[in-house]
Amino acid sequence: MVTREPLETFSVPIGPQHPALKEPGHFLISVDGEIVTDAVVRLGYAHRGIEKAAEGRNWVQNLYLVERICGICSHIHATAYSLGVERLAGVEVPPRAQTIRVLVAELERIHSHLLWLGVAAHEAGFETLFMYSWRDRETIMDALEGFTGNRVNYSVNLLGGVKVDVGGEQRTDILRALDHLEPRTHHYMNVVTTDALFLQRTRGIGVMTRSQAELMGAVGPTARASGVPRDVRVEAPYAAYGSYPLSMILDKRGDLEARFVVRLNELLECYRLVREILDTLPPGELQAKMPRRVPEGETVSRVEAPRGELFYFIKSNGTDKPERLKVRTPTVFNLMSVVKLAIGHQLADVPMILAGIDPCFSCNDRAILVQQSRGGPSLWTWEQLRRHGIEVYHGRRP
Amino acid sequence: MKFGSMFSDVLPSLFASPMTELYPFERREPPARLRALLQWDREQCTGCGLCVMDCPAQALEILTLDRKAKRFVLTFHLDRCTFCSQCTYSCRQDSLRLSNQGWELAALSREPLTFVWGEAEDVRRALAGELPAEGGAPQAT
Amino acid sequence: MDVALDLLAMLIFPAGLTLLLLGLIYEWVDRKLLAQFQNRVGPRWFQPLADVVKLLAKEEVLPHGVNRWLFIGLPVVGLAGPLTAALYIPMAGLQPSNSFTGDLIVAVYLLSLLTLTMGLAGSNAIGRFSIIGATRTLTQLFSYEAPFLLALLGPALVAGSWQISEIIGSAGGRWLLLTQPVGFVVALIGLMGKLELPPFDAPEAETEIVAGALTEYSGRGLALFRIGRNVAMVVGLTLIAALYMGGIANPLAFVAKTLGLLVIVAALQAVLARLRIDQTVGLWWRYGALLVLLQWAVIIVARGGVS
Repeated sequence: MVTREPLETFSVPIGPQHPALKEPGHFLISVDGEIVTDAVVRLGYAHRGIEKAAEGRNWVQNLYLVERICGICSHIHATAYSLGVERLAGVEVPPRAQTIRVLVAELERIHSHLLWLGVAAHEAGFETLFMYSWRDRETIMDALEGFTGNRVNYSVNLLGGVKVDVGGEQRTDILRALDHLEPRTHHYMNVVTTDALFLQRTRGIGVMTRSQAELMGAVGPTARASGVPRDVRVEAPYAAYGSYPLSMILDKRGDLEARFVVRLNELLECYRLVREILDTLPPGELQAKMPRRVPEGETVSRVEAPRGELFYFIKSNGTDKPERLKVRTPTVFNLMSVVKLAIGHQLADVPMILAGIDPCFSCNDRAILVQQSRGGPSLWTWEQLRRHGIEVYHGRRP
Repeated sequence: MKFGSMFSDVLPSLFASPMTELYPFERREPPARLRALLQWDREQCTGCGLCVMDCPAQALEILTLDRKAKRFVLTFHLDRCTFCSQCTYSCRQDSLRLSNQGWELAALSREPLTFVWGEAEDVRRALAGELPAEGGAPQAT
Repeated sequence: MDVALDLLAMLIFPAGLTLLLLGLIYEWVDRKLLAQFQNRVGPRWFQPLADVVKLLAKEEVLPHGVNRWLFIGLPVVGLAGPLTAALYIPMAGLQPSNSFTGDLIVAVYLLSLLTLTMGLAGSNAIGRFSIIGATRTLTQLFSYEAPFLLALLGPALVAGSWQISEIIGSAGGRWLLLTQPVGFVVALIGLMGKLELPPFDAPEAETEIVAGALTEYSGRGLALFRIGRNVAMVVGLTLIAALYMGGIANPLAFVAKTLGLLVIVAALQAVLARLRIDQTVGLWWRYGALLVLLQWAVIIVARGGVS
């Protein structure tokens, strides 16, 4: 996906072979001295053809395929998929299973926000905060490993329920992890809001007003930091969120510091939610019976990933394989805000602004069909595609 | 506004030992639920093939030699396995489980990563190529 | 005999090979301390040596369109600067091998030679990261150089001489950091700016411009620049210890004092975040220059006017 051709000035590429961005995304920044005059984003380096691959695998196999769209938010992808397929099949998932799904989703949100804190600190040059926040993240990873059996890609979901139960030992482990993390999170909140050098890199940088956020369709903590009250868990509760209401964390300032504050406050809200779940877990079974062939129909599944709203469209034609699976991840919308906001800032601010939206490039690369005014969509043969690829790059400056 | 807000973390670390676990000199006991190497209980298996159908990585292949006498040969490709444990839940006879030992699985070539399980005689014949190679998972388009 | 002793001083001890070895040791201590502050293990003792050996063994890639002689010669000049500066400071607790009036200024400018050659090396290459890095390096040079020099001249003002051995002699073992704390702080932080240590590592900000001015360097050139930076660290620490911590009487005092300063430098690296280049310039020209001029005013008033 290329937005447009950059203007002809001195351009600095950030990615895709950049050492700092640990993921492949290409930002072509045109600079004048140190001030950014233009920014163009180009994606597509991590495209794996997942939506097409999903059409050739049965419903159970796809559960694990979509889990691997992203490593950081793997459980929420699997949850969105399961919720959609269960709705198509008309299967009622027992409440204990839904609650355990929410529990793992919140634990995943904790790990994702701590990861992001470290990465954003690393982009700012604050190595020490990076090291300490990732050291604390190990606590929650160990708790998740003891609970689910793996540190990443927890694979807790089954079509119709979950695999693992919360026993006394797991409960103790998770509570111990939270007891360790809660004072540390307060400490990080203190660091992020009072450290003079860090504030110089974040306060007033990358300000996005509420109207801008709504216009560009920003989602997740990025939007909530600009005061846009969007959170799928609150607006359209799924799984067990109806029984465990939570408050939306909003901030009016819309700059980088606000995004840090919103995510750290969300961490505190997650701790509260996890404690509440562990105290009031409803009894019951873990799995409902699921047919191998899902009845015909199409459905939409919206969940709140750590980065924003995750959207699944699932269409079934009555067989044991899906007809169409469409995934729309939150980073796709938030990236546009980076491109717009970067203009006018210094070059050194661009990695920080990018880190502020919590980008997840491996989530990103789906094929997007952009309808242009001349003609409708067309189908290209392999030969046409190959010829187009050669012509587009021929004569373009490398 | 203050400088050096991480100082309260940094100073005590000077006198503490590092958090790093010096693997392989220090090894932690794996948690009970860790999903590591697959184990197959031949007695319980009925050869239904649900595990083969549901494996997202097509890591299992089952060969039925005699269904009534329960003689099957299960080929497990460790290099394809994603340790998702779906097979253990697809199996209605409880014949598959993922142990929590056997997580140090690196090898220098692919041969040690293919496990063929069954009666000793069947396994020998399968490895020698005397048995037909059918019963694998349907290929995805 | 004199010539032989001079050559020995320059090539083996205290400058030359000994200094290169000390540079590697100090780099290791710095990295290990930083790791310890961050609660992790850090490199083993031979890591800097292994880095240098590896770099020297690699092929040196000459980028397209650079001036060949500048590309190869600049690292050599960059290393030569701090090595020569070492001749005028009391390395390892011994008397400086060459000493003349005004050698403080010469030593400081030889230290800046390293930064200057890095800036030139960056401008030489055509890549955009190198050019931005070179611009930032030179901008940073212009910002910290004046306060750093003035801070080092504080003890010189008290001693009434610009010769290092005379300054140390007239201090007579007194620790000037007690009487000129502001100057000491500015000098130490100025050294961090010169060595491009965090928080002043904007010129080689890995997350923004890959490796800054040295992006196109590999193999021998990169090794020489890195060794040059290590030597500059040792020389800078020795200079500050000699001027502000009552001189260096013997090798034991040398090790103790410079390592003590290194602990403080490593702690500052751990605790402070990176500054943007415009914030660095703002910081130095506002607070750095102001503080050091204040220190000078105090010195002048305390001495009852300039003699």
